[in-house]
Amino acid sequence: MIRDITFGQFFPAKSVVHALDPRTKLILVVAYIVLVFIGNNFLCLGLAAAFLILATALSKVPPKLMLRSTRPILFVIAFTAILNLLYIKGDVLLFEWGFVQIYDKGVFTAVFMAIRIILAVLGSSLLTYTTSPTDLTDGLERLMSPLKVLHLPVHEFALMMTIALRFIPTLIEETDKIMSAQKARGADLETGGLVKRVKALVPILIPLFVSSFRRAFDLATAMECRCYHGGEGRTRMKKLQMHGRDAWAFGITALVLGGIIAASILLPPVF
Amino acid sequence: MTNIIETKDLRFEYASEEEGPRVVLDGIDLDIRKGEFVAVLGHNGSGKSTLAKHFNAMLLPSGGKCYVAGMDTADEEKRFDVRQTVGMVLQNPDNQLVATIVEEDVAFGPENMGVPPEEIRKRVDEALKAVGMYEYRRHAPHKLSGGQKQRIAIAGIIAMRPACIVLDEPTAMLDPRGREEVISTIHRLCDEMGITIVLITHYMDETVDADRVVVIDDGRVLLSAAPREVFSQVDRLKAVELDVPQATRLIYRLQKAGVKGLPAGVLTDDECIEVLSNLLEVNGCPSSKPRN
Repeated sequence: MIRDITFGQFFPAKSVVHALDPRTKLILVVAYIVLVFIGNNFLCLGLAAAFLILATALSKVPPKLMLRSTRPILFVIAFTAILNLLYIKGDVLLFEWGFVQIYDKGVFTAVFMAIRIILAVLGSSLLTYTTSPTDLTDGLERLMSPLKVLHLPVHEFALMMTIALRFIPTLIEETDKIMSAQKARGADLETGGLVKRVKALVPILIPLFVSSFRRAFDLATAMECRCYHGGEGRTRMKKLQMHGRDAWAFGITALVLGGIIAASILLPPVF
Repeated sequence: MTNIIETKDLRFEYASEEEGPRVVLDGIDLDIRKGEFVAVLGHNGSGKSTLAKHFNAMLLPSGGKCYVAGMDTADEEKRFDVRQTVGMVLQNPDNQLVATIVEEDVAFGPENMGVPPEEIRKRVDEALKAVGMYEYRRHAPHKLSGGQKQRIAIAGIIAMRPACIVLDEPTAMLDPRGREEVISTIHRLCDEMGITIVLITHYMDETVDADRVVVIDDGRVLLSAAPREVFSQVDRLKAVELDVPQATRLIYRLQKAGVKGLPAGVLTDDECIEVLSNLLEVNGCPSSKPRN
């Protein structure tokens, strides 16, 4: 069971969105988030939402799965909404109870911000649902590679990500083994108060730590044996290639972006 | 140039704080010919792994010389050439795989060497086919068995097109089936691709098919000969805490017990059966031939 663990939330499927170059998707998601925050009236958000629904439909990711990705941030959304409700003052007072005063503008802003955040989160979830962590790392490394000029360790960062992804399942398996071993020696991990349980974790974390260091040492040796000497002069087997579909994706997003900018200039803002 | 690796009076020592310098390798003279399958035997702490690390410049000699394809391993400029010529596979299959996808891991070595992408693709496919793991090229390493992971590690080295592969106890963490997979793979690489193999191990059974067995003890070469010759010296091996293959041990004990007419240097189970049944026949027990 523990061997089948997946990280991130990659949803494997064959679709146009999956087939897009990871760089395209990364750029488009950033553009999308920007445009969601540029749009200052409901028409803009409607356009953005329509765009997202289209992309989701193309990606074959089940809508239910998409909606589930907003669950972890429901609290943040609720919190922002309440703050907006309480603190934004407007012209029309809708409700008053003690120090609580709710204005029409507050309600609008609260709803508007909530939709904005939800759209932004859904947009980035679509990226992680349709791009495997490996592709994502690859795309990031290549997009960031101009930053090497500024001496930012782009290659090292990407390699660290790859190695981390590679070793997560190995370390999970190891943790499982250590836990079994400690339980077999009578360790009690399931009962007692918080302090007791945290203390019970120590005999699991220490061996895990020690073995991680040993692994790191081995890995470094193995990498050196395979002529690793940093990112300089390194080539890659996999070449990322943009296709016609990437051009289409850029074109459509540009149109939506144009539409949203036009709408936010022409139409009155919500607040 | 027939020797791929040559050591001349190779010495290695490191300073330990309490006891002063500790000598690990004490004057090793060893030649390994191109295309040879050499097994290096020795008990824990004999210096066999340290010796292996000299073959690809992971360690540099404190005294003497180590040459790889004529290059001095101490020459800093040649370091990556040395590592490309002599690839190394380590004990733990988990700790030497870098990438999350098998074929990307195999590509790691050639990528570091700056090989052009199309060429890497070709090499990776060839290497995976050579170890019989081509169908698994899109898999995640952590879902493979130990033997499979070790074969991927070997493929990762083959993709660098080395002349020689040094394997440092590659089967120590594997189950019997994984051991068998790895050993038959490296024999195939030696026979079919002409890659020189240096197999460091303490499993006697893995060494019987080697061209030569080198026994290391206390930082010195104790024996260096064909397996049959080495394992006929049971007493000498016992003196350095090394065992012999089970079949050899059985014949040896029979001889000790006074059974006459047994040859020395029996290595495999099949040989052992034949020798014993011949013996029984000579002594007049015809029904003793194995039934099938």
